Amino acid sequence: MALTRRQFLQRTGIAAAGGVFGPGLFGNPFLQQAMAQTIGDRYFVSVFLDGGNDGLNTVVPYNNGGGNLRSDYLLARRNDSGGLRLAAGPGSGDVHGLDQAMPSTPFSDPNTGAQLSFHPGLKGFRDLYDAGHLAVIQGCGYPNGNLSHDVSTKIWENADPLRLLPSAKGWAGRHLEAEYSPTDIPGVTIGRRIAGEFKQSGTSILAITRLNRFGFPFDMEYPGDNAAKSAAFAALCGEAASSGVSVAEFIGNTALSTAAAAASYPQLHGAYRSERPAFDALYDDASVGGRTSMSRDLREVAKIIYGVAKGVPNVNARFFQVSNGGYDTHSDQGGGQITGRHYSLHAEVADAVRIFLDDLSDMAQGQTDGRQYLPEKVCILVWSEFSRRIIQNDNGTDHGTQGPMFVIGHSVNGGLYGNHPNIDPVVIEGNNGNTVYSQDAGDPFRSTDFRDVYGTVLKHWMNMPAAAVQALMPLDPIPDPAKYWRTSNFDLPFL
Amino acid sequence: MGDENSPLTAAEARHLLRRTGFGAKQNVVGRIVARGETRGKVADRLLKFRPSGFRPRNKSIAFAHNKWLKFMIRTPLELQEKLVLFWHDHFATDNQVVGSPMRMGEQNRTLRLNCKGNFRAMMHAINRDPAMMEFLDTVRNRRAMPNENYARELMELFCLGVVDLDGEPTYTQEDIVQIARAFTGWRVDDKGRAYLNENQHDRGNGTAGAPYPERGPKVIFKGNPAFGPGGYDFGAAAGTNYAAEIDEVMNAIFAHQDSSGRNTVAHWIAYRLITFFADPEPTKSYVQAMVAESGFDSSFVVADLLRTIFVSDQFYAAVYDPTKLSVKWPIDYVVSTLRLLGMELRSKYQYVDGGSYINAADALSNMGQLLFEPPSVFGWDWESSWINSSTLLARYGFVRDVISARDKGKSAFRPERLFTFTRSAGVDPETVVDAVTGLLGVQESFAPGTDGRNALIDYLTDGLGGTIDFSNDTTRDKKLRGVVLLVTQSPAYMLY
Repeated sequence: MALTRRQFLQRTGIAAAGGVFGPGLFGNPFLQQAMAQTIGDRYFVSVFLDGGNDGLNTVVPYNNGGGNLRSDYLLARRNDSGGLRLAAGPGSGDVHGLDQAMPSTPFSDPNTGAQLSFHPGLKGFRDLYDAGHLAVIQGCGYPNGNLSHDVSTKIWENADPLRLLPSAKGWAGRHLEAEYSPTDIPGVTIGRRIAGEFKQSGTSILAITRLNRFGFPFDMEYPGDNAAKSAAFAALCGEAASSGVSVAEFIGNTALSTAAAAASYPQLHGAYRSERPAFDALYDDASVGGRTSMSRDLREVAKIIYGVAKGVPNVNARFFQVSNGGYDTHSDQGGGQITGRHYSLHAEVADAVRIFLDDLSDMAQGQTDGRQYLPEKVCILVWSEFSRRIIQNDNGTDHGTQGPMFVIGHSVNGGLYGNHPNIDPVVIEGNNGNTVYSQDAGDPFRSTDFRDVYGTVLKHWMNMPAAAVQALMPLDPIPDPAKYWRTSNFDLPFL
Repeated sequence: MGDENSPLTAAEARHLLRRTGFGAKQNVVGRIVARGETRGKVADRLLKFRPSGFRPRNKSIAFAHNKWLKFMIRTPLELQEKLVLFWHDHFATDNQVVGSPMRMGEQNRTLRLNCKGNFRAMMHAINRDPAMMEFLDTVRNRRAMPNENYARELMELFCLGVVDLDGEPTYTQEDIVQIARAFTGWRVDDKGRAYLNENQHDRGNGTAGAPYPERGPKVIFKGNPAFGPGGYDFGAAAGTNYAAEIDEVMNAIFAHQDSSGRNTVAHWIAYRLITFFADPEPTKSYVQAMVAESGFDSSFVVADLLRTIFVSDQFYAAVYDPTKLSVKWPIDYVVSTLRLLGMELRSKYQYVDGGSYINAADALSNMGQLLFEPPSVFGWDWESSWINSSTLLARYGFVRDVISARDKGKSAFRPERLFTFTRSAGVDPETVVDAVTGLLGVQESFAPGTDGRNALIDYLTDGLGGTIDFSNDTTRDKKLRGVVLLVTQSPAYMLY
């Protein structure tokens, strides 16, 4: 069995030496090899579309091709006031049509041959797709799709829909706690809550809203007393961290790593700001799609990656999560109106990701010290807890099941994978408008189990052996291969 | 093994007061123990209140928030406010969606008036609560396009739970679809009262001549043990009194039985209340016992259930077993710290009068619990989900500000009023540590141990050991404030 990075560090005694994550780490070929067991010198960014993104108005049927996809779409999405239909055309004025975000490279559903297009708000994704840096994986879901936000979010976060594993931990969290120690900080969630996919109790994930506001609140009345306070604070937290009471250990360890990070992370803000003013401003520039909470959250990720890449001591986060809320569009969803809610949500994400990748790309320009070309080192995974119903309601959509995922980065094999979900009204009748889920090889409307997408990322980006990935996400033990996840494929060709 | 007649120990009394209120005051604990009061007697006293009609209403949500906060810091009815917080989480409604602080204030009063009464009455009010109707789209639910949002949460979150105690599903998508029809056409009038607009109501009953025959009869819970294979036809039960359909739906929900024939509502609500007050991971048998002993599955009186919980052994388990401890909610951390230190916040902005002068709403928001803005319809994530680097720093910052507050009256932190240490040159640091942990009521089963106490003593004596010179005003002020800060920042104080 291969050494985990944690075991390696323990055995070589490097973990105790301190400053492990400082400059020159990757100059050490021996250590570099060990690190390659895991994510190595790469980064992973999870982007959660919180609330259930309407997949049918994300990757949209443009024509029928050889089937009825566009016709079925026209039946499901109305064209009146409150209608969510996206027109196959350029649109006019403030209403944009599908031509606005139509890829120039082939973008046809492999199954039906129907031409597809991105929602007009996703022009940024279209550009990334045309450049070959964006993979669309259609129809991602799981058996018996649950329509509760809470339940389905946890299923996507934990990748354990049948709750086969003894404790509820995030899918990436299970990887992290196997590879890192309690006081390592391998990941950061931008926000006030730890991302569910990172949750576990074996290592530390930071939750940071803004780096410049992340710092330990020392008592400034008696500055001379702070060293004494810090020592006592560390002792109190250390006692809890080794108390044998799991909740207290969790609080103690979180407190200790927080205090350490509060010393090393805030400086990343100032360094980025003074060294990258042009890009710093871009994230605030509404004319290029900045000035959104999404762009500003991704800027915090960029600041940290910039710090890690430069070798700032005690900063080595590799896993990040950002989320965008507001996708629960039961009403007032909006179609192609650029002021519409769904349009704005799409534009926020696509434009922010584009700025972020431009920033990473620029970070490596003109470097002669062998610094990595960062866009090749980052993998962005975009997901939502479910999609929405095929048939719209009044002027919105209710909860549905499977939807598209996106994987983005310069090491990604861009393209369109998987088949468009079946939206044929005859087939979906009797399912209350839910997309029929099927993995049956005999069914031409195949979908992708989202665990194969995660597994491909774990195997090809985190370098986990396939068997370890499978242990982390056990197959459904129900002998119904048409419906359940009975065989895994961790070699989806997007990575 | 104890029961309602067991006298409370000091540690048990502190635990009961912490869980049912905002921090345990030493004099209250002392009185309970001195009089030999029993679990039952104290539980009865805690539950014997007439719900107040207080409503935190203001056109600004920030000021409405602060009114409620101030009320919590001052009120003698701590359990009432604990219950309102519980229900605010249970019926999580977000003003960012509702966009009406006035309606949020009204809902807050509805939660208060019904906080310990009959849960059926609570649900009657919630079904017609204008803030809720806005939040979960009832006001946009119309006959042509039934909106499922409220129907789903009515079952999943408010009444039944996704699964029962045996992990079996309690309802189906078809139940959601049908119940959504019952709520079509419910609207709010100019005076903020709910009424049924029959023109927007789906008056179908599944027969050919009636509207929407394709939607079938209004039948729910087919195959449920309470109703048999045919389920319950709430449309037929209400007849042409369409406004009664939602009441018939509630009749069915309150009669709903789970996979083991238990009353589903009673066990779901009991499970929720137990996880809030008693045990974050209760056993099935504990939940069943609390329902059975209280008769909650027939009376639905919340106070009866609470009394049963408050006299049960499992409620006191955390006093002896630290693995049963819960993480304090941010609002509890803020309010109990202020109450225990005898402090209030300044002005209608409710800011701390020292340190960064942060206002409490910002502090609470940074800790992950801005009232009236729960993160989603599921309310807040409890227990260890409260704790991360960001929220911990917010807690540390808040207490740093609190111990730095010096300016005026009740908004100032005055250690000399709380502690009776003489200004002598030779104060024993052990007595200081005892006084501070005693005042702050750190949980007995997880108080700072030898290492923690030694760390506090080292802090007080700057590592020199021996006694502390409290005749020096600066030393006394610095170290007393410092040790209060350290205890409130300690992991033990985050637990209760």
